[in-house]
Amino acid sequence: MAHPLDSDQIVDIIIGEIRETVPELADRPIGRADSMADLGVDSIERSEIILATLEAVGLKIPMVQLHGPRNIGELADLIDAKKSG
Amino acid sequence: MIRPVGIEAMNVLGGMAFLDVRELCDHRGLDMPRFENLLMQEKSVALPYEDPVTFAVNAAKPLIDAMTPAERARIEMVITCTESGIDFGKSLSTYLHRYLELPANCRLFEIKQACYSGAAGLQMAANFVLSGTSPGGKALVVTTDISRFALADANAVQEWAYSEPSSGAGAVAMVVSDTPHILALDAGAYGNHSFEVMDTCRPGPDTEAGDADLSLMAYLDCAAGAVGDYLRRVEGADFRESFSQLCFHTPFGGMVKGAHRHLMRKLYKAKPDEIAADFEERLGPSLSYGKRVGNTAGGSVFVALAGTIDTAGITEPVRIGLFSYGSGCCSEFLSGVAGPESAARLGAMGISEALHKRYRLSIADYERLLAGDAVVRFGTKDAELDHQIVPGAWPADGAGTRLVLDKVVGYHRHYIWV
Repeated sequence: MAHPLDSDQIVDIIIGEIRETVPELADRPIGRADSMADLGVDSIERSEIILATLEAVGLKIPMVQLHGPRNIGELADLIDAKKSG
Repeated sequence: MIRPVGIEAMNVLGGMAFLDVRELCDHRGLDMPRFENLLMQEKSVALPYEDPVTFAVNAAKPLIDAMTPAERARIEMVITCTESGIDFGKSLSTYLHRYLELPANCRLFEIKQACYSGAAGLQMAANFVLSGTSPGGKALVVTTDISRFALADANAVQEWAYSEPSSGAGAVAMVVSDTPHILALDAGAYGNHSFEVMDTCRPGPDTEAGDADLSLMAYLDCAAGAVGDYLRRVEGADFRESFSQLCFHTPFGGMVKGAHRHLMRKLYKAKPDEIAADFEERLGPSLSYGKRVGNTAGGSVFVALAGTIDTAGITEPVRIGLFSYGSGCCSEFLSGVAGPESAARLGAMGISEALHKRYRLSIADYERLLAGDAVVRFGTKDAELDHQIVPGAWPADGAGTRLVLDKVVGYHRHYIWV
């Protein structure tokens, strides 16, 4: 069985999906403290990125359960918690 | 065999005036580098003497006028579907009943569930027909919504910066009966998905509040849930194969694109180019009118249906899947069949031509209307309407077939034909 992902690895997955969804951000440094909205990722793209991340980590939960995080780190922590929960 | 039921006649009304959305975004200084992805062009704007009643009556009048007296006498139910009501108790349907001169033996009421209200009204009417309690009876279902969110205060414009361009105004009138010339519903074929969520709301009569991200998430959850429930309920149904065309509730086209992509990935793990081609083919026609009137709330999915029937080039019977979502939330995926007769009958309504005839507001006109001084607010006891607030929009050579609000006397709204 694969080793479970930790929050930092989920951050990396989210950032990878951001770069793929919004090519303009390909070379920009992005970290845990950044918010997708502040990076210029629009609401449709944000939902795409979250869906792709859920798929990548193998988590099947309603999208509305991931509402609330203010930045990428908090989103990764929440996904991590849902995976463990 | 279940008897036929569905939409016998239909009309879409986009009001008397519109605003160019790109111009509005430039004016507001919105940073929208990928504006084209949102698939928005114009939005209908309700003038102060237009309200949910005038939108509804003006949408329904051509349908009623086209009926014989005998047919009109069989309208036994009027359902108004709206989140823009004008009274907590008395429903808009009573005004429709009066100004459309409908029979006295008629059941009148109103349905509210944000943008789901229209689908709820259609299903309510269809089930009245299917029940057989009054064979041959018809129902008039009218969705009517206008948006004047910026009236609340200056902050509202800021709070709703990205929603303002998409919020529109419009009404869709549908006669529902056992002779479904426009759309024959697949009775019994539907799927629902609902849960309590605070994604958008109207905490005051003319204010709105919401969370764009949460609303989008709820919409996506519901699209998957309602389609999933339909596929569970209808043996042999397949989202990709069973529907030649699709019509989704359309806050703006970009949101529909997102939901379609979500479904195609979830159900088929489809690749981007395949998803894009499918969207163009099965959802492209549905955006024809929505991108010209904006989000019409309860009527949005039927504005999409009208766009599909009018522009998809239907030459043989096609099955159309409809997805309705209303914040708060309730959603439904249902289906029906349209054919060449549908296209011919709806084409005769001249929906596109009527949209072309709307008055194009300047930003200055629009800002003056937003200030709201001339608008009749919810709960207004007495008022006289200024019909010349935007002189160019007033139909100087009207044929007496368009209803406008004239005055309010002791809360009672009085309308005139111009």
